[in-house]
Amino acid sequence: MSGSAVTATARAPSRRRPPPVATVRWGLVIGSVLLLEAAARIGMIDPLIMPPPSTMVVRLGEIVAGGGFLTDLTTTAAAVLSAFGLGAVGGLLIGILFWRLPFVGATFEPYLVSLYSMPTLVFYPILLALLGLGPAPIIVIATTMAMIPVALNTMVGLNSISPTLPKLARSLNCSRTQTYLKVLAPAATPLVVPGLVLGFIYAMIGVIAMEFILASEGLGFRIGYTYRAFEMQDMYAYIVFVFVIAVAANVALNAIERRVRRDME
Amino acid sequence: MLPTASSAPGQPETAGDRDGRLGVRLADVGVVYDTKDGDSVEAVRSASGHIADGRFVSLIGPSGCGKSTLLDVVGGLLAPRSGTVTIDGEPVTGPRRDTAMVFQEDSTLHWRTVLSNVAFGLEIAGVGRKQREAAAGDIVALVGLTGFEHRHPRELSGGMKQRVAIARALVADPRILLMDEPFGALDQQTRMFMGRELLRVWDETRKSVVFVTHDIQEAVYLSDEVWVMSARPSEFTAKVVVDLDRPRGPGTMSSRRFHDLTSQVWEVLRVESEKALDAQRELEP
Repeated sequence: MSGSAVTATARAPSRRRPPPVATVRWGLVIGSVLLLEAAARIGMIDPLIMPPPSTMVVRLGEIVAGGGFLTDLTTTAAAVLSAFGLGAVGGLLIGILFWRLPFVGATFEPYLVSLYSMPTLVFYPILLALLGLGPAPIIVIATTMAMIPVALNTMVGLNSISPTLPKLARSLNCSRTQTYLKVLAPAATPLVVPGLVLGFIYAMIGVIAMEFILASEGLGFRIGYTYRAFEMQDMYAYIVFVFVIAVAANVALNAIERRVRRDME
Repeated sequence: MLPTASSAPGQPETAGDRDGRLGVRLADVGVVYDTKDGDSVEAVRSASGHIADGRFVSLIGPSGCGKSTLLDVVGGLLAPRSGTVTIDGEPVTGPRRDTAMVFQEDSTLHWRTVLSNVAFGLEIAGVGRKQREAAAGDIVALVGLTGFEHRHPRELSGGMKQRVAIARALVADPRILLMDEPFGALDQQTRMFMGRELLRVWDETRKSVVFVTHDIQEAVYLSDEVWVMSARPSEFTAKVVVDLDRPRGPGTMSSRRFHDLTSQVWEVLRVESEKALDAQRELEP
């Protein structure tokens, strides 16, 4: 029985450890939701400003079941996916170009970086004038926003490859295609993927924000519309939906990113 | 009295003779390379020498003397500005199947397992999966990585990663191994241990080895010959033949002869290193 005694003593200190971070995190979320619920129910929060969370969820259920929701959802999803797709391809190409031609990279990188810190959304009047009302200006702005982190991360990822790897590839007589596909691309991936993750998030932010001002359907438009119509319950229902989608996307993308980055030392 | 044809005077050298065509031959090799700023640097002025088949030769010299550059030329990664490098009489025009390189920096592919890293060269050469993995498995065992076949480089120590690099170089069964300070990034103890391991592997495979290092003891301990390079633009200032018995072991380093040889190398190297330092000082304002 000495074996079990040893295990018992070995385990003892772990009981005194603070609760796992995940528990605290979830506790905070659940706690704040409950707090809001209580505050709204006892009248501490004006239901016109914010209904109780349970009402938001119930209302969301009704909206999802009713017509029109699917149109908004597919409109927004289509815009996000096309902006991300275009931004990813464009960003990868720009990143590769800036890496292959260091002079071009050094010249244009500051522009890209300043575009990064700039609220691209301010260009919407110009785009509106150029492209007219419709999905085009939304997608252009969201694409630009998605492209920048992809381009920068791709460039940094390729530039940070140790010069030994291309040298190795040459010493093994790798063809150009083999060098790109079997050495350079996988070596840069741990930095390219976080760029793609950011690009996706930016595409989502860009589309929804632009829909507020430039659209006649879509989730962003619907939030703005319900706000102006004083349909607070509907507005919050849509906000809850967008929030849940964004968090879910973030969790999924982070999981992918962690998996890829694990390979990096 | 046993008269043999090859030792008879006036006989022409037979092809494949130990000091004939076989092996690596450098003839007046000069290397100039362009820097990023547009300057050209004369790295190697005139290097000549013959590395006979199966010999272990170390190149040693002051920092920045062009040892690695010269190795790149032998490996076909860099064309010499003047002179020629031939392997078994054929001029080197690019990377060859019968030479393999090991680099100082970690060159493992971090997304691949040890086995797949070792098999990489064969994969590039178009060898089928079964065949290349069988070959890689044998070499993994030879370099002492059995049990780590399916690990990734991030799970390995620096020394183990260099074993992977050595295994990758050996797997295509090259005749000539070009090693560019392969243990330079390792700590002293690992380094000495890896040197011993390399000799064990070399003993089993008998490749020709060109080994770049700046560690005198390592050079003398491992090599048949130590070629000392001058400060840049470099040439060989001395070639020290290491006549220590093989197999070498822990006793080798404490022997009288080992000390004599290392001091002999150091005497030449010291002069060249001072020249290199003086040249550096002149460059500074």
